Amino acid sequence: MSRLPKITIDHARVVYPGARGAGPVEALGGVSCNVADGELVCIVGPSGCGKTTLLRVLADLEQLTDGRVVITDSDPARPVKAMVFQGAGIFPWMTVEQNVAYGLRLRGMPPAERIEIARRWIGEMGLDRFANAYPAQLSGGMQQRVGLARAFAYNPQVLLMDEPFGALDAQTRLILQQTLLRQWDREAKTVVFVTHSIEEALTLGDRVLVMSARPGRLIHEFRAPFARPRDAIALRSDPRFSAMFAEIWSVLRDEVERARAAELGATA
Amino acid sequence: MIRNRWLSFLSPFLLLTLWELAVQVGWLNRIFYPPPSEVFITFGAMIADGQLPRDVGLSVMRVFVGMVIGGVPAIVIGLLMGISPVVRALVQPLAAAIYPIPKIALLPLVIVVLGLGEASKIATIALSVFFMIVLNVAASVLQVDARYFEVAQSFGARRIDLFRTVALPASMPGIITSVKLGMGFALTLIVGVEFVGSNDGVGHLIWRAYELYAIDSMIAGLVAVALVGWAITVLLDEIERLLVPWQFVRAANDDARQFIQTWWGALRPHSYTAAIIPVALGAIIAGAEGHFHPLLLTLALLGAIAIQAGANLTNDYFDYTRGIDTPQSFIGRNVLLRGELQPRQVLIAGLVAFAVGAIIGLYLVSVGGAFILWLGVIGVLVGFFYTAGPFALAYTGLGETAVFLFMGPLTVIGSYYLQTQSITAPVIFASLPVGFLIAASLHANNLRDLESDRAKGKRTLATLLGRAGANIEYYALVGGAYLSLLLLALIGVAPWPTLIAAITLPTALGLMRRVARDYEPQALHPVLRQTTQLHMQFGFLMLAGWAGAWMLGMS
Ligand SMILES: Nc1ncnc2c1ncn2[C@@H]1O[C@H](COP(=O)(O)OP(=O)(O)OP(=O)(O)O)[C@@H](O)[C@H]1O
Ligand SMILES: [Mg+2]
Repeated sequence: MSRLPKITIDHARVVYPGARGAGPVEALGGVSCNVADGELVCIVGPSGCGKTTLLRVLADLEQLTDGRVVITDSDPARPVKAMVFQGAGIFPWMTVEQNVAYGLRLRGMPPAERIEIARRWIGEMGLDRFANAYPAQLSGGMQQRVGLARAFAYNPQVLLMDEPFGALDAQTRLILQQTLLRQWDREAKTVVFVTHSIEEALTLGDRVLVMSARPGRLIHEFRAPFARPRDAIALRSDPRFSAMFAEIWSVLRDEVERARAAELGATA
Repeated sequence: MIRNRWLSFLSPFLLLTLWELAVQVGWLNRIFYPPPSEVFITFGAMIADGQLPRDVGLSVMRVFVGMVIGGVPAIVIGLLMGISPVVRALVQPLAAAIYPIPKIALLPLVIVVLGLGEASKIATIALSVFFMIVLNVAASVLQVDARYFEVAQSFGARRIDLFRTVALPASMPGIITSVKLGMGFALTLIVGVEFVGSNDGVGHLIWRAYELYAIDSMIAGLVAVALVGWAITVLLDEIERLLVPWQFVRAANDDARQFIQTWWGALRPHSYTAAIIPVALGAIIAGAEGHFHPLLLTLALLGAIAIQAGANLTNDYFDYTRGIDTPQSFIGRNVLLRGELQPRQVLIAGLVAFAVGAIIGLYLVSVGGAFILWLGVIGVLVGFFYTAGPFALAYTGLGETAVFLFMGPLTVIGSYYLQTQSITAPVIFASLPVGFLIAASLHANNLRDLESDRAKGKRTLATLLGRAGANIEYYALVGGAYLSLLLLALIGVAPWPTLIAAITLPTALGLMRRVARDYEPQALHPVLRQTTQLHMQFGFLMLAGWAGAWMLGMS
């Protein structure tokens, strides 16, 4: 594989026109970084620092005010990117199967083929019995798995994941982390994974990027030194794991406090 | 909660009954307040002479065509408004300004332009529903969560995909709601339009009835409008289920089909032949003698079915609450044992059925006089107290006798009396075969449950007579049916074609053999079912024979 970066982010800046009465909001204050092909990068940062904004920029859902992002399209047969949304974002009017096959359908894949792929991913997520159910009949965790299955079935070159496990209970979260790890071991995808949890970032990521309080910038970068294939449970007892956790936390804590202070200042 | 719902079911019937009574007794003036039974008759007559179906059909056609002409463009433009700010800016102010104008106020203008024909009526409907639907549809598209559009975009959706896979399905519930609103609106409007600018349609019918002071016709017209509105609502609900299935998944347990299945099981329609056969027999005997009023026969059938349904339901209730029916009993599909209905629901449905029977009965009383009244009162009492109260007939050994009398001679005679205003000895005899067989099928039930009834202290003729005696009773009842039919034909009371019912004799003999041989409930269960079928087959064949003789002028 070439060492050409899969994703190039170059001084990305996003300024939102402010709400009525308030000034404009600088969500991203010039972020620069590269993501290599097949790399899983995790991003942590205080709430409101612009993590979602960064992913939305990568997904073409948001315009940059300044700077540049490029995703190299190295495989014309596969879609370039897909996003797993904070909160599953699956369509209530489609069955689980239709939801999972949705991206493939938009790419014009014939029904028999896309249903086969969808079925495979539904099985992978342990949802076989619910293939024909509607989202309203599923629990939150199951809906989240449908969102994952939809992104995996689409098989994009770059997967953008915005706190995909954020709203789940601890057990489901662990199981889905394992699922993601296994999947990644099978076929290394380029993944940008936003999370609130340092543990999750260390468990999953090759690198962990820490963002500053708003306007968001990348202030620190950690390399997770754990060999793959990884096991989400075994990692917890690795002494390097707790050491790194403490290190990331000490950086992040300052930012979280700064973000809180800024918020309090804004309301005072 | 449940009680309230049942009260709301019961209250219309109560009101109708009170109304009927108040008129029959003379407290209300019949001219101003025609009783429900009279309206019912007028309604039937208006259907029969084709006036009501024609006018209602015309109105429905106008509503439907107006809905299509106004509604389809409204949905398309509404969707476009929701998606495109440009279209919204163009249409919204205009639509919002015209929307509040009462559309009936446009009628004169429309008539000036389009004349008095169909076009002006349809155009008024189309115009009104257009503005109502277009604004509602646009609003429902705007309410779609923007996130869904982003999800679709992130999977590479083009504009047309956004429309097809997000905007349309997500706003479908809103579209359907607006069509429902539009439909209700159109129905109200068409009646108003036909009041003034029409010489046909149901609105015109009501208005004309008013001018002629035919209050019963007027009310019949109103009832027709209500029924059409109700039917359209049911239809649209079904369409909604088809188009937005995801909105109904939570309520999957009490959907309409389940509801119908449950109540079908509770009402046991297959048992109505027991009521239909004797009523039909009485009327056919009268017909063969030259007295035949189809309307009276229809009402008598409906009344008898209602009373039968009431008896089924109340009996299920009392058997269940007394612990006579248990999951071990052989009673087929029982909605109470399966927990599909609450006991109270079954009881009140039974009372409602009796009430319906009573309303129909009251009209029949007005034709047939005191004799019919007594018959009806006894019928309801027998049906109700069959298992209710401390002297429940079924538990005192009197069940067979009561059923024999009521499902045999009394009903045949009553139905005959309605048509002829007289009672004759031949009719009494003619009712015997049918009475024997209905008693036999009840007795088959008691034979099967002999041991368990005895254990529970439920007294039936079977438990009183013991197994041997009970078997003889079964032979006597089944055999009695064939013997009495033969005698009737021989002495010339029944025309000889009724003997065709004897072709069921092999079945009857087979059943008797089984009863002689078997005593286990499992083995006797089919005997019960087949005895009921025997009654039905025998009864219909006898009816057919008698009707054939009547048609051929043989009696
Ligand atoms: N459409 C918008 N208009 C104006 N301001 C916005 C908009 N979207 C986000 N913002 C602001 O930009 C900042 C960054 O938002 P963003 O959603 O990227 O944060 P985040 O890091 O994902 O937060 P969280 O961790 O809570 O999800 C926030 O202060 C938010 O208020
Ligand atoms: Mg976020």
